[in-house]
Formats: sequence, structure tokens, C-alpha cells
Amino acid sequence: MAADTPPRKSIPTPLGEGTLNAPDFLAGADYGPPIRVLPDVNVIKIGGQSFFDRGRAAVWPLVEELAACAKQHQIILGMGGGTRSRHAYSIGLGLGLPTGVIAAIGSSTSLQNAHMMQMLMAKHGGILVSFEEFEKLPMFLRSGGIPIMVGMPPFHHWERPPVTGRIPANRTDAGVYLMAEFLGARSCIFVKDEKGLYTDDPKKNPEAKFIERITAKELLDMNPNDLVIERVVLEYMQRAAHVREVQVINGLKPGNLTQALNGDHVGTIITAP
Amino acid sequence: MTEIIKEGSGHRTHIKSPLMRESLMDRKVLTATDSEQVIPILPDVHVVHIGGASILDRGKDAILPLLDEVVRCRREYKIILGVGGGARMRHTYHIALDLGIPTGGLAMVAGAVNEQNRYMVQALLAKHGGVVLHKDHYVVLPLWLASGMIPILSGMPPYHYWEPPTGLDRVPYYREDFGMFMVSEVLGAASMIYVKDEDGLYTADPKKDELAEFIPGITAGELLARDLPDLIIDRSVVENMLHARNTRRVQILNGLKPELLGRALAGEPVGTVITAPKEDPADGR
Repeated sequence: MAADTPPRKSIPTPLGEGTLNAPDFLAGADYGPPIRVLPDVNVIKIGGQSFFDRGRAAVWPLVEELAACAKQHQIILGMGGGTRSRHAYSIGLGLGLPTGVIAAIGSSTSLQNAHMMQMLMAKHGGILVSFEEFEKLPMFLRSGGIPIMVGMPPFHHWERPPVTGRIPANRTDAGVYLMAEFLGARSCIFVKDEKGLYTDDPKKNPEAKFIERITAKELLDMNPNDLVIERVVLEYMQRAAHVREVQVINGLKPGNLTQALNGDHVGTIITAP
Repeated sequence: MTEIIKEGSGHRTHIKSPLMRESLMDRKVLTATDSEQVIPILPDVHVVHIGGASILDRGKDAILPLLDEVVRCRREYKIILGVGGGARMRHTYHIALDLGIPTGGLAMVAGAVNEQNRYMVQALLAKHGGVVLHKDHYVVLPLWLASGMIPILSGMPPYHYWEPPTGLDRVPYYREDFGMFMVSEVLGAASMIYVKDEDGLYTADPKKDELAEFIPGITAGELLARDLPDLIIDRSVVENMLHARNTRRVQILNGLKPELLGRALAGEPVGTVITAPKEDPADGR
């Protein structure tokens, strides 16, 4: 570097002097573990195609069950997209749009579902919470509200190109999981229309076997062609500080959600690593 | 006409589309959505990222000549500027980690440092058309570019609390270099240029190791395989280049030699060029 290079104005810290990419970046510093931001909260993802698109037959009973559960538990809901997302993806992909635009498009369907869910839950305290209001969650929860959020993460045009295909790898499962992990949530439950995980898609293969409990790594190593939960969630779980267990349950069966919130095993439990 | 399909009574309702009833986790379905190329949205735009610690923290003597070059080049090229964080971001990470803030919280607060830098650069470029581009206004870019503006973005991607966990590394993995790479990738930009304070990539950090050798050109696959002790560009960029549909070439140049920017915009290799050729077995997908 030339002698007349203008000097860097720096601030001394115990962090390494190289870039943030250097392996010794944290070596000189001894930071304790991260805190749990909202340790009592239970984050529940309502599937789009697998649940919400079934309409009142599926959703109305769940609304009542959620309202009853919210009396004992702090609950945040994250909404999936569903068949309208697929329709929009299908057209967008045909137009040759990049993944970032496809991701931005996907959020709108999830927002529609969040709006509808809020109208259904309003009388029980359902509130639609935008990303911008995220820091107000403690107030909403303390006043007995049930925050309802868009499941898609806010990545939009910044959604990275996936390894396979052009459909965003981070969709509503990932968004809801990442929110739970950041909050250090008590539990993260995925409400779908199957009991949980099978060795193949039970809707298409009657031979598919049910899996009660599995680690994220085992599941990735099995390298199944299809999965009940977005692949990236299994990758994130292995590096997670707090939410190292998620449960996939069949929300069509009344009582399952209540039991899962009470810590019972009613679907498939996936654990880290 | 759109066809609505109901399965059984009170069951799933689908809109007819090729993805209908399919699991989007199914690899066969995902593979079917693949394509070699996606449409470039703004193919004549150049994305230029100005490093935080490398350039902005060096103050006036480093920044002003570089911005003069940006203004000169803007007469010929449409440019979107990104700004990095630097020393204050590092300090933010230090304090936040000490407080026990989780990774998503670090990502959330770190961006404020970019925003400070963005305001400073905008103030300097205002008379030449420098405007702050908020991520919500992304879709208005064509208007600003057509009217000769220089949009300036905070480099951090809007992952915020949703930043994926990074295990023992703790700090966000998707940082400014990646944020600007994604701007280039989604827009299908003409070039992605990283302005730093070294001539480019070296085998080690040249500030600490005088034996470090300069690398004028390398493929992304080769660079990841070499697993160098430090990298002047975020690893997340190099990794994601392998899956990119548009931005498979990025250049790192020395902004302390501002005239290099004009030459790089003209397509000349003046620093380190990293490529991800699709035909390369290590880089192809």
C-alpha cells in the first residue's frame, strides 16, 4: 500500500483486524451465548396450500382452537401462501423473471392470507403485524393480542438464486422458522394437512411410511426427492442457537395444536443437528 | 380462462397451473423450473459498491477523488452505487455480541451504519444527481436512471431479523458485498464492480502478509476450493455466483486509484476478475 494512502479511521474492538471473512475474526473475543428475545412465545405456521386453501372446513375450527390456546400461551401466527403463489410463480417463471422478483411476488399471497386470518381472528385479538411493527410484538402480546404475520421473509429482490431451479428457496416455512429462531421462541409448530413427515408424498404414494422423529441432518442425508418442509429450514436448524426442534402437525385433526403447544408429540418432530 | 379445481367437498381449491398440487420442495418440480438465463431487467446498468472500511473510513482524501470519477463516468454509463459500513459496523457487532444480541438482531442494527454512509455520499453527489434509493422504491429505478440520477443504496440486504443463523460465527453471513451482488443479479446488470483499497484479491491479507501474491483472475469454484485465510470480498458472493443466472463475473479494483473505475466500466480487467463459467465443472451446476 502506497505511503500516501489516506489512513483508516478505526475504532478499537477485540475483533480480529482482517475482514469479517477471516476465520480468526471472533478469536480474540469471548462473547457469551445470545439471549432469547421473546422466550415464552410460540410461533405457529399455517400452511397455505396444505391448510388455508381448504377454506372454512379447515380454517374455522382451527381459529377456535387457536383462540382457546391463546388464553394459555403466547402465540404468533405466520401465514403460508398456497395455490395463488404457485399460479403467480408459474406465470412469472414462464416470463423468465429472476428468483428475486419471484420472491417479491410470493409475499403478496401470504399477505392476503394474513389479512383474511386477521379478519377471522379479530374477535379473539388477532392483529396483523407488518415487518415495520415487529418491535411492537411485546406490546401486542402483553395486551392479549394474537399477532399474525406474513410468512415470507422480507428478502424480496435479495432472495438468493437457488441451487436448483428458480423458485425461491426461502419461502414461508423459512420465514416463519427464522422469525422463531431470532425470537428464541419456546416452540415452532408447522400446521399442515398431513400428520407430518412420510418417506414419500402420501398423497401420491400409498406405500409412504410415517416418520415420528428425525434429525434435520438425517433427513437431508436421506436426500429425499420431496419434503414436507422447506429444505433450507433443515440447514438453518443445524446452525441455530435456540430453535433446534420443530414439529409438523396435522391441523385438520382437532386437538393436535393444543397438544403440540402443551409439549406433546402429535406429528413429526425434527431436531438439530 | 382460469380454471378453479376443487378436490372433494370442502377440500383444497386449486387454480390450474403447472405448479398446481405439486410440492415446491419436490426436486423434480424445482428442476423443471430451471432455465439457463432469466431476463435482464436493466441490462445497461452498472452496479458499483464502495467499501466501508476500505474507502469510506479513509475519509475525504479517498472518497472525493473516487466520487469525481463516478460523476465523470455517469455521463457515459448508468451507475447504481452501493455503500458499505466499516469501522462503526464492526463496533456495532462488538457491542451487540457482548450484549447477547442474536444474529438477526445484529443484521437489523448493522444497516444503520450503511445508512449514515449513504447520507454522506448522497450529500456529496446531490449536485450531480445523487439520490438515496430506499429498497421499497426499487421498482422506481428506471425513472431515476432515465433522468440521469445516481441512486445510492445501503449495501446490506433487507434480511433484518430474518438473517439465517450463522452458528459459532455469530455475525450475519449476508452482508453488503452480497446485497449489492443481488442488486446486480436481479437487474441483470452489465457489470458488478467492488471498489476496495487493494488492487484486488491476494493469496492472504496483503496488509498483514507481505508475501501475499496478487491474483488477477480466478474462477469462483477455484477460489472456494483454495479456502484462503481471508478474502477481500464476502464469501457469500463467491458462493452465490455459482448459482447466479446473470452475474457470473465480478471485478474488484483499487478505489485509491480512481481512474481504474472508468477503465473497469469500459470492460477492461484492472483488478481481480472473478468469474463463474457455466462450463467449468467446479462452477457449473
